[in-house]
Amino acid sequence: MSYFLEQVLNGLSYGLVLSLIAAGFAIVFTSTGVLNFAHGSIVLLGAYLVAVLHDTIGFWPAVLVGLLGAAVVGVLINMLLVRHLADPNPGTAAILMLGVDIVLLTELTRRIGNQVLTLGAPWGASVVRLGDVTLPTGRVLAAGVTVVAFAGLWYLFSRTDLGVGMRAAAADGPTASLMGIRLSRTAATGWALAGILAAVAGIFLTSFPAPGVAPTVALSAFAAIPAWVLGGFDSVPGAVVGGLLIGLTSALVTGYEAELEPFLGAGFGEVAPYVVMIVVLLVRPSGLMGSKEAVRV
Amino acid sequence: MKHRVRAATLAAAALALAACSTTAPTASGGGGDDVTTGNGVTDSGITIGMITDLSGPFAAGAAVQVTETQAYWDQVNADGGICDRDVTVDVQDHGYDPQRAVTLYRSMAPDVVALQQVLGGPTSAAVLPLAEQDGVYVGGVGWAGSALAYENNQLPGASNAIQAANAVDYMVDELDVPEGSSIGVVYFTGDYGGDALAGAEHAAEERGLEVVAQEITSQTTDLSAQASALAQADVAGVVLAAAPTQLASLAGVLSAQGADVPIIGMNPTFNPSLLTTPAADALLANAYSMTSVSPYDNADSAGVQAANELYASAAPDGAVGWEVPLAYVQAELLKQALEGACESGDLTPEGVVAAFRDGGEVDTEGVLPDGLDYSEVGQSPTTTVFVSKVSRDAEAGLELLDQVSGPSAESFSYGG
Amino acid sequence: MFELPKKLVGLVLLLVALALPFVLTDFWLQTGLFVMATAVGAVGLTLLVGVAGQLSLGHAAFAAIGAYVYAFTTGESTTTVEGLGLPPLLGLVLAALVAAGVGAAFSPVAGRLRGIYLGLATLGLVFVVRHLLVNLDDWTGGFVGRSVEPFAVPGFSFSNRDPDYLAIAGVEFEGLHRLWYLFVLVAVLAIWLASNIRSGRTGRAWANVRDSETAAAAMGVGVAGAKRSAFVVSSAYAGMAGAMLALAYGRVAPDVFSLTASVDYLVMIVLGGLGSVAGAVVGAVFVTSLPLVLAQYSSALPFLAAPGSGGLDPSTASRIVYGLAIIAVLVFLRGGLAGAAGRLRGRLTGSRAGAAPTPAVDRPVAGDPPRSKETTR
Repeated sequence: MSYFLEQVLNGLSYGLVLSLIAAGFAIVFTSTGVLNFAHGSIVLLGAYLVAVLHDTIGFWPAVLVGLLGAAVVGVLINMLLVRHLADPNPGTAAILMLGVDIVLLTELTRRIGNQVLTLGAPWGASVVRLGDVTLPTGRVLAAGVTVVAFAGLWYLFSRTDLGVGMRAAAADGPTASLMGIRLSRTAATGWALAGILAAVAGIFLTSFPAPGVAPTVALSAFAAIPAWVLGGFDSVPGAVVGGLLIGLTSALVTGYEAELEPFLGAGFGEVAPYVVMIVVLLVRPSGLMGSKEAVRV
Repeated sequence: MKHRVRAATLAAAALALAACSTTAPTASGGGGDDVTTGNGVTDSGITIGMITDLSGPFAAGAAVQVTETQAYWDQVNADGGICDRDVTVDVQDHGYDPQRAVTLYRSMAPDVVALQQVLGGPTSAAVLPLAEQDGVYVGGVGWAGSALAYENNQLPGASNAIQAANAVDYMVDELDVPEGSSIGVVYFTGDYGGDALAGAEHAAEERGLEVVAQEITSQTTDLSAQASALAQADVAGVVLAAAPTQLASLAGVLSAQGADVPIIGMNPTFNPSLLTTPAADALLANAYSMTSVSPYDNADSAGVQAANELYASAAPDGAVGWEVPLAYVQAELLKQALEGACESGDLTPEGVVAAFRDGGEVDTEGVLPDGLDYSEVGQSPTTTVFVSKVSRDAEAGLELLDQVSGPSAESFSYGG
Repeated sequence: MFELPKKLVGLVLLLVALALPFVLTDFWLQTGLFVMATAVGAVGLTLLVGVAGQLSLGHAAFAAIGAYVYAFTTGESTTTVEGLGLPPLLGLVLAALVAAGVGAAFSPVAGRLRGIYLGLATLGLVFVVRHLLVNLDDWTGGFVGRSVEPFAVPGFSFSNRDPDYLAIAGVEFEGLHRLWYLFVLVAVLAIWLASNIRSGRTGRAWANVRDSETAAAAMGVGVAGAKRSAFVVSSAYAGMAGAMLALAYGRVAPDVFSLTASVDYLVMIVLGGLGSVAGAVVGAVFVTSLPLVLAQYSSALPFLAAPGSGGLDPSTASRIVYGLAIIAVLVFLRGGLAGAAGRLRGRLTGSRAGAAPTPAVDRPVAGDPPRSKETTR
């Protein structure tokens, strides 16, 4: 029983980290309509900045730089590239982000080399024991930080002018613009928020139980795509639910691989999130918590 | 309209004829000596190719290998070359993309006598059959058993299945893993991991152990779920066919869960930078490495010393690791094949393949185990591997313990 | 007035394509084969995404199905993999048909979902197909894949054998040369068919559905049927492209049909100019050949650092140049490569700029002007 519980807790804590990335996808998509293929590189960028800076300026200042760096890069991508697309539409924007991803990821891969860069996180390899269940401290912290981050997002979107403006802009850009909401400002805020969430996720994805920063971390953003999609494209709470569901699915499929292998084939843990996503989309075409409006062509 | 069509047709025909005269075959001269030559060999030079990954996921390790390989052939040239010819290495980058690997092979094949390296699983799988058709030597494709089926491929030491079988034997014989217990096998999807799993399963059956298999991909950097499953199955040891990030994660999590069992990684699973990660203590306590090629720190091997000196002078600030002796010995194997081809008077691509397959003595001065046998296509050239333990005192983090050839490794046979 | 020069340009291009094997080296021939194979796939995708307005990120999954169907139906059974040993021509047809069938089976999903939702659901398809390819190893050869029978008609093989030696005008015609002509034939047929579909009744129905499902239904277009047929046709194109890729490689493996390959098809049609058949071809040339050519010639650039020295080496530089090229096209060229070429032609001939506005796949980017509701183009 404690094994089952351990896998569930593992899955949920990993799922919360995924939901940070998924929420980044959702916020960028609602604020600017862009499918951000470069999100993975921004996750990697945040973690990379922390890894190279923690020795000289200390871990916490490095985290601050990592968060800001990821936010600034996101804002710049939007300001310098997305807004200057020759044919602004979601298709060209997505491919533009792919180009950005190639450039960013190639350069980061070159800089990292074949090192596994350690983050220098103060929680190291310590674990928390709850009865029979052991969880890495980093994971427990990740869960706590994620909950705080989402509480902050909820406050922003429901209680501040900026957040309400962002929601208005997402619901109907031109009308919001007519009502005095500056779309450039809401868009920049969206990209900055997504960058910060990505960097936070990057830090937790590269600290224990993962060993450190390696280029493959950028691919973990793809694992968050099913979480984002099945939660609903324009829904931050949906991203949380989706992240938890995907985290739980992968942990359980992996944890019971021996029992499942005869039916599903080896390595099903990698595919399971996508299967869950397709099934959810078949039942609810706009995701679990997405608004139907978001898919109007 | 009709006229234009006719004119265009004529133009095309003229173009074809013109082309015919420029692409007329130039007979490759035999030169002053009695050696038959073919692609990639002139009277004064030999060209060999290297299709590697300088912009993809393996770029950093591949760059170390390129540096060492260049330095090796520079030295060979300084010592008089091969068959009185200077050797040039044509290095190209496939970025881990099979499409690029195939086109680069096509462009390179007419101008090289052999391929020093085609790095990567999917990339080498795409190139090997083409090179086999053309009878071109291919070295440095890793250690997957699937590559053994190609006559033109020279494996640098024992295959992955042999490493894994030895790992299991070593656990039973030296690390007190009792008969009847379970061992974990955590492996990458694909030829490398699949081959290692086959070897481990064979050995487990021989030694009366249960295998708990966990398949992962290179994107799995957090092995918490896998580690929990292994701890739940109460494994007495783990064979790992993955990459350094997976080794660090698995060792750290298993140790945190109180499962202090030996973890034996295959060839590329250790990297010295892992000793700066939070998992360092767990690695020092539990991690071993089972490699086909000697680790970097091996004072007893003249070959390894030569390799390291060469690298130190070529790249004084370069990252050291297992790639250095590997690149050196891959070049050494090709050099011996080229020399053999020269001696038998057939310095053609086919001649180079025949030379390394003829069953002659291969001496690598301790970089690879002694007694390599390349005469049988489809089987590993040796059953002997190097065992090392992770250590802070050794250079590049691996301290050589022994060379072993276990009973299960010796009884393992491909296709059997 | 505009038709004749266009046809003439096509004819000249075709003649050049037919003459090229006489002068090209193996590298360029191989590159050309990959370009033609991916061009067929891209043309199919532009029908689906550009004309019918259904985003798909799963094109590589259908290409994989085509490739493996060809390999399985034409291959002989060995100790490790099974095969049916059917004639290659039949295998080629089956590749397209089976891929179309799978597309039809998936089309209930396609009918339910729209825009980016459909795109990401099809993205899941890539992973599912890959999982099957790795695990059904009796048919597929698993992770390492299986070899592919060369294409042949009775008495003539498109490989280095049968006839073992063939020379035309003094140029030896090896497998690559022979495949070139097969690929030119298939690619020309595919392009011709796609242009006809696009400008015909079917294409207009698809475009209607893209612009407004309600309006299309009111005009008597069966929306569900139109969506399904677009998906099926596009899948058949992908299947054919996959079989061509299999022939060009001489081998199939799951890694060839990765997510990257899927996204690359989308890059081709977007760079080329969404909805344009010529654009899809130009995009395929750009996306497929640029990395190959950069990889081949980057080492000739003198100012770059040697690999391993820690500086900016040629390989990394060429990858970055590729990324920057994508960005530059999207930021500077309205209507993509085809749009830019159209404007250039317009300027040269003095006629009105011929670039059509690109249809949006889903909702517009915030802040851009409302796009035109053009139904037929």
